[in-house]
Amino acid sequence: MRDDGHDLSLGSADEHDTPAEVDAAFRTLRRVAVGHVAVFAGVVVGVPLLTAALDWWSQGRLFGGMSPMFAMTAFGLYVFFFVLCLAAATLSNAVEERMLGGPAREAHHDEEGTLPP
Amino acid sequence: MTSIVLLVVLLAAVGSVAVLIRPQRTSTFEFYLAGRRVGVVTNACAICGDYFSAASFLGVAAAVYASGLDGMWYATGFAAGFVPVVLFIAAPLRRFGEFSIPDFLGRRLESHGVRLASVAIVQLIILAYLVPQAVASGIIWELFIGRGLGGMSAYSTGVLVSTVAIMLMVSLGGMRGTTWTQAVQFLLLLAIFLWLAIIVVVSGFSYTDALRELSSRPLANPVDTGGGWRLEAVTNRLHPDSAAFFGEPGGQYSQLGQFALILSLVLGTAGLPHIMNRYFTSPTGTAARMTTVWVVGLAGLFYALAVLLGTAARSVIREVAADVPWVAELTTGGILRVPEYALLVLGQIFGGRAGLALIAVGALVAVLSTIAGLLLASAASWGHDIYERYINPRATQAQALWAGRAAVALVAAVSAVMALSVRPETLTGQFPSIVATMVTWAFVLAGSALTPVFILAIWWRRTTGPGAVAGMLTGAAAAVGMGAAGVLLGDSAYSEVLLTPTVFSAPCAAAVTVAVSLVTRPPQDTDRIWVRMHGTAADRRAVRIARLTVTGLGRRGGERG
Amino acid sequence: MSNGSLPLAGVILLAWGAVYLVTQLITAPPLGTGTTVLIGTALTAALIFGYPSALRGPRSKRSAQPVSTRFQQGRQSTTIAAVGRSMPLRSGLTAESARRTVQLLQPLLSGAAVAITDREHVLAFAGPGSAHHRSGEEVPAPTARALNRGRTVLVRRRGQLGCPDPACPLRTAVVAPLTDGNRTVGTLQVYRGDGALSPQGVVEGLAGILSLHLELAELNRRQRLAVDAKLDALRAQINPHFLFNTLNTIASKVHTDTEETRQLLVRLSDFFRYVVRQEGHFAEFGQEYFFVRTYVSLEQARYGERVRVRYDIDPQVLTAHVPVLIIQPLVENAIKHGLAGKVEGGTVTLKARVDPLTRTTSIRVADDGVGIPSELLERISDGERREGGGQGLSNIAGRLASLYGERYRLDIQSTEDGGTVVDLQIPLG
Repeated sequence: MRDDGHDLSLGSADEHDTPAEVDAAFRTLRRVAVGHVAVFAGVVVGVPLLTAALDWWSQGRLFGGMSPMFAMTAFGLYVFFFVLCLAAATLSNAVEERMLGGPAREAHHDEEGTLPP
Repeated sequence: MTSIVLLVVLLAAVGSVAVLIRPQRTSTFEFYLAGRRVGVVTNACAICGDYFSAASFLGVAAAVYASGLDGMWYATGFAAGFVPVVLFIAAPLRRFGEFSIPDFLGRRLESHGVRLASVAIVQLIILAYLVPQAVASGIIWELFIGRGLGGMSAYSTGVLVSTVAIMLMVSLGGMRGTTWTQAVQFLLLLAIFLWLAIIVVVSGFSYTDALRELSSRPLANPVDTGGGWRLEAVTNRLHPDSAAFFGEPGGQYSQLGQFALILSLVLGTAGLPHIMNRYFTSPTGTAARMTTVWVVGLAGLFYALAVLLGTAARSVIREVAADVPWVAELTTGGILRVPEYALLVLGQIFGGRAGLALIAVGALVAVLSTIAGLLLASAASWGHDIYERYINPRATQAQALWAGRAAVALVAAVSAVMALSVRPETLTGQFPSIVATMVTWAFVLAGSALTPVFILAIWWRRTTGPGAVAGMLTGAAAAVGMGAAGVLLGDSAYSEVLLTPTVFSAPCAAAVTVAVSLVTRPPQDTDRIWVRMHGTAADRRAVRIARLTVTGLGRRGGERG
Repeated sequence: MSNGSLPLAGVILLAWGAVYLVTQLITAPPLGTGTTVLIGTALTAALIFGYPSALRGPRSKRSAQPVSTRFQQGRQSTTIAAVGRSMPLRSGLTAESARRTVQLLQPLLSGAAVAITDREHVLAFAGPGSAHHRSGEEVPAPTARALNRGRTVLVRRRGQLGCPDPACPLRTAVVAPLTDGNRTVGTLQVYRGDGALSPQGVVEGLAGILSLHLELAELNRRQRLAVDAKLDALRAQINPHFLFNTLNTIASKVHTDTEETRQLLVRLSDFFRYVVRQEGHFAEFGQEYFFVRTYVSLEQARYGERVRVRYDIDPQVLTAHVPVLIIQPLVENAIKHGLAGKVEGGTVTLKARVDPLTRTTSIRVADDGVGIPSELLERISDGERREGGGQGLSNIAGRLASLYGERYRLDIQSTEDGGTVVDLQIPLG
């Protein structure tokens, strides 16, 4: 084991993004955001709008006196929002992790032995 | 008896969670790492504490109580408001990392004009948000205390007392809107809702049966017809020739009106200054994003409960109205005349005087935590963005503090005066819940003037200072103008769109911003700004240093032990 | 996303429209909501699942037909041709492949037992007597003769079979050698219990077919080795000019900009670590992208504003698996041959997309540099090896062909002074 004291001090400052990389991540994230917003808008507009197309949506009965639309507005939408946000946030984090910075450099100094002859 | 035990258990739970997440005096480094676990949830609770005002605590249930399914659009909109925040705003805002919205826009667009314009807008939004909170405290006072002091009406007394109390607290510097207190306040609100929901359900309330029963006859609400109150059937806005029902849409909004309201609330959240200021305290951009996901989950839980309670109130109060004299006094034909009373009455029916007190306390907590957040945002914006930067650049810390306090006193006084000029009963016929409706105006203003500019500034390189100023002013003017027209025109065909004009004013603001930006010169350094706002280098560095430090601390601790 | 999903969305929309039209307007009285929704959902599901395969067309036979289905056919039709098609020994002479082969062969040779051996052991045995002739035993005595001579050996008497069990029902044997081109690696043995010999021609024919399979397997193995070697060579063969230039750039900045020097050194070490560390033929696109970024930032340090780069990347593509060290050479070509010769420099665009419906990953490397003269382009397209291009396109094409067979596309378009576009489409993995 080598003392990694000086490596830490060097490692601490070497995080750096170039404009081109940031621009790439930015545009990919924008695509993620716009895609999710489209789904979000579709559902939020669709729930009230479905009434006009489908009487069953607001007048049918699912559980006792609860119409599908009421159930959707009372619980379904909140679950949907949460799932959508979780999916978008996870995807965004994964994109950032892969598109900016490198793989973790913790293992900087254990490589001499693994070099091919 | 059971309800008291339940209450004690819930409060004990809140207390223990509060102790668990209490701020511990540790190094900044550990804070970064903890920020990835505990901090995210704590901050999410704090944002909820700021966000859930009287409009959410009393207003959503009141709106559901008054108009059934159509009242639920408030809850939907309030909860959905954080979706655009997750997608578009949370992480870049935190990464750019300034003190406040005006600071952010000013730095991003490298323009003083933007800073000044956004301070004006921010103050306007804060004022529009403060007034309904004051109205709500008046309503609570009216019901809970029931009489005024010094010859004033109970309502005016409530407004004045709450305003003076807050003003004193803020000016004496005793209130520090720490993350922790806001988080505990939110947990308290959630516990109160849970308590009420559980005892309502345990005492035999069935959601589905109540809905079937409520939807079996047309929706009718009390209306003041000069001589006295009487029940009048609600017109169905979707199908004017048929009656409106509790569990079906149409009780309050036409198709267009629903979208206008939802869009206003969805876009508005992203422009609320006291909420956005919270993002600057997150340790990293990623943490800010995950915090918002938590907020969406917690808000969903909260509003689902609020909707349930609103429905329960409609069903339960009607059943007991004939037998209980004090309920009969407040109702006409089994329906409350002021829908905001719904939760309070429900609390008293199930928990007696203590239940009423608990709900009232909850409402007051909601009001106070929101007002505190708003006034702090206002003070920050006056003190930091105006006083320190323009009036007295060499101000000492104390001077800036005094400037902020003076501004707070002024803003609070103005909001009290405006609240006093409103009588809740005079407006109830027009809106499902006056508190929720008035809060909507703040959302409209924020969504029209700030959010479009905000999103463009973050996601479009070509945005310029003049473009942003033009966009903000257009959005604000359109929102205020259309809102005023809506109030003046009263109950006309277009009034519901005029009162929630974001659907029109936000695209206007965006279009004007784009148009003016295209003919002016963007800031020179967009590459540098972009690296700072969308790059994760600073985040990675922070996490890395934190990890190394904790490892180092652990190692040293290991050697010592 | 765009080339597959949009038409699908349109088709689904049309389908729902049609369902609505039929169930609600044409049918009187209209169908119930539940039924309508059910019909629509079923139709949507069918479209979504059916659409990609319709778009992809029939798959190539070689890769898609699983061995087991062919095996079934061979059993039913019991023809020798079926054995030839099913190629049970395609993966070489192992106990598993031998077992499948004898099971396949035994019904063809009625009443007889079949065994396959390598040079020392019985690999598989099927038919009468399998109770004491087990796989894994030492080969019986006549095998050695067949192995040594490389010719078919006929055993007519029981005593010569070398079976110690007196109750063994087997009496005669035909032992034919199996070769993988030049070496005898094992034997095919056909026994009979009725005293007659199996027809020698049939057994030798079968042995010949199996030998061909073994030879193919050996060829495959060598080809894989060759690809491995090519990749190893590529790894070892980082262009020395690149290293010299980068080190020179870094050296020139040591005194003026220490922070940038340090960043460049870190990036250089990232670059070499990636080349050395990468194992196997595939990596996540995200990792390859990191490698490309590292490379580009080193080149940018050298060329400055003259080399600009623009990445346009689908979020889904980041986790897709792509062959290693394919994209960076394409980008390197674009910079070295496209932009370096242009005084005012230019932009390299790396665009990566995933089409989940056709299950393809498409990668496009485009530059607005000097372009490739048309006669040179023709020679490159013909697969001719370019001088000085160790990482030339032919190398890339060769590796892609050995990894994907026919299932990839590599297109080059270029106009002189207008830039070059390299399009690569590979199956999504």
